[in-house]
Amino acid sequence: MISIKNLHASIEGKEILQGINLEVKSGEVHAIMGPNGSGKSTLASVLAGREEYEISTGSIEYLGENLLELDPEERAQKGIFLAFQYPVEIPGVSTTNFLKTALNQIREARGETSLDAVNFLKLMKEKMKLVDIDQSLLSRSLNEGFSGGEKKRNEIFQMAMLEPRLSILDETDSGLDIDALKTVADGVNKLKSEKTSTIVVTHYQRLLDYIVPDYVHVLYKGRIVKSGDKNLALELEEKGYDWIKEEMASI
Amino acid sequence: MIKETPPMLDVLKTKAGQSHLQVKAWDTLSDIGLPNKKSESYKFTPIQSVLLKNIDWVSQGEFFFDKTKLYQEKGSHLVFSNGTFVQEYSTLNDLDVVVGQVTEGKHDPFSLLNAALANNEVTIKSGSELPVFIYHFNSSGISNPRIKVKVKSGDTCKIFEKIFPSKSNNTFTNSYIEFDIAPNAFGYHTKVQNYHDKAFTHETVFSKVSKSSHFYNNTFSFEGALVRNNLTIHLKDENCEGHMYGLFLLDKKSHIDNNTSVDHMEPNSFSNELYKGILDEKSTGVFNGKIYVRQNAQKTNAFQSNNNILLSEDATLHTKPQLEIWADDVKCSHGCTSGQLDEGAIFYLRARGINEKKAKAMILNAFATETMNHIHSKIVENEVKKLIDKKLS
Repeated sequence: MISIKNLHASIEGKEILQGINLEVKSGEVHAIMGPNGSGKSTLASVLAGREEYEISTGSIEYLGENLLELDPEERAQKGIFLAFQYPVEIPGVSTTNFLKTALNQIREARGETSLDAVNFLKLMKEKMKLVDIDQSLLSRSLNEGFSGGEKKRNEIFQMAMLEPRLSILDETDSGLDIDALKTVADGVNKLKSEKTSTIVVTHYQRLLDYIVPDYVHVLYKGRIVKSGDKNLALELEEKGYDWIKEEMASI
Repeated sequence: MIKETPPMLDVLKTKAGQSHLQVKAWDTLSDIGLPNKKSESYKFTPIQSVLLKNIDWVSQGEFFFDKTKLYQEKGSHLVFSNGTFVQEYSTLNDLDVVVGQVTEGKHDPFSLLNAALANNEVTIKSGSELPVFIYHFNSSGISNPRIKVKVKSGDTCKIFEKIFPSKSNNTFTNSYIEFDIAPNAFGYHTKVQNYHDKAFTHETVFSKVSKSSHFYNNTFSFEGALVRNNLTIHLKDENCEGHMYGLFLLDKKSHIDNNTSVDHMEPNSFSNELYKGILDEKSTGVFNGKIYVRQNAQKTNAFQSNNNILLSEDATLHTKPQLEIWADDVKCSHGCTSGQLDEGAIFYLRARGINEKKAKAMILNAFATETMNHIHSKIVENEVKKLIDKKLS
């Protein structure tokens, strides 16, 4: 699905990612963990195409294409979805209207016909159930005045609507209570298939109780310093990140 | 030898009307003079020098009337040409319209100039709830339409006003409309200003609101060489409301100056103002919002906000709230923001597959349409929406 090689990314002259290597295959769930400031969110942003980051070296191949040459919208149209850590509030644009525009632009880019209002609403109703989101929320301005939980739920709802190939969840668990966490994780799990991949970026292990990863990677100072299976996450939960830092310092 | 440009008033003197009131208006105007470089409230709009450079005062222009500009809508349609009401092109639909001599009005320089130069004064009396559409087709160097709207007690009066300046020569429209709203009545006034680079206007709207009455003004500005809007609302009695909504969505070298003022004179009145600006290319936008709360006007609620987005480095914006509060038990708030488009918001939309151009348009569109409130006409609302879409696409 996606292959990241020796990726270096910097912002305002500061190098945040210092040589990331990561290979994610169809059907896999990868967790990226790491202490604050290790570059987790930067990696998520770079994958989605955030333009503030400068890529000095390295490559990202996504479904056989050079991802770095694509605009954010092209990436989305080709099936990349970033669930934002801090979803943006956009006054005056309703979630419904926004999603209809997004979905139809994606469909258009894929050579499919646009959905009319009736079919769009039908699809929306169906997907709303997945994340247990209320209709009234969707007619309001996008994320405006939403609680933290509502915003995250809305992200996963958008994911359900847009049916991406590669989903990147950036700290989707932050700000969620345990019930909301279960609902959101449940939604993500229902959307998983052999044809899709998921990258879960998280600081804590608790989300991984519900979205079980095939691989866990530890990011530290802009590099993946450790990889393992889900047990690595449990180990981190138990011991914290300090032992990784110490291990790295001793090298 | 270089000939000095004579001041505006010297040139216009011969055009002044001879009725007692018009002579008086002219004399007062001569005393106070027109705003010049030193006038604080015209600081960013040097109107006199701009007009002197661009307007041929004696030009009569070709009479023109374009029937296709009229809204296909039930109601009264009043056509003016160069400031004069043209009955034969108008459809009154039982509306009470009287053409008469100029009567007393506001006393600021351009209102006085309008009074002195107006050919006559048109009085409209509210009757049915059907909308009243007013069209000004102007081709003379200067036109001075003068309208008074009397809204009777218990009535609702909806006025929609548009100016069509000739595209073949520079024109200056110095319009004056005054609302006199009796107790327990509603007045709505909407202006759509979509001119061009030969159009210069000074547009005065003055509304006197009586007990338990409401007045709403919507001003949507899209283009013009120089447009100055003077909106003044007097909340004369208790439980009055004044609402002001404005949008200036500009590009090219358009220059729009919104000068608004609301005066709370008695207790328990309410005013709300929302103006938004989107400025592109070399355009200039000015917002000046005054709120007066007299000593007697306890329990006043007054809100004002002006938000602007600048899309170009060559665009200029001046914004200034001005609050003068003499009463102590009041709730007043004001705020203004100016900035660029929110990059984070654009990225969010793009990350969902919406292309950059469309993402920007969506955000700006939502920003702009927030000013569309209380228009009370589907056809005008759709027109404004279309103009916003067109400007942003």
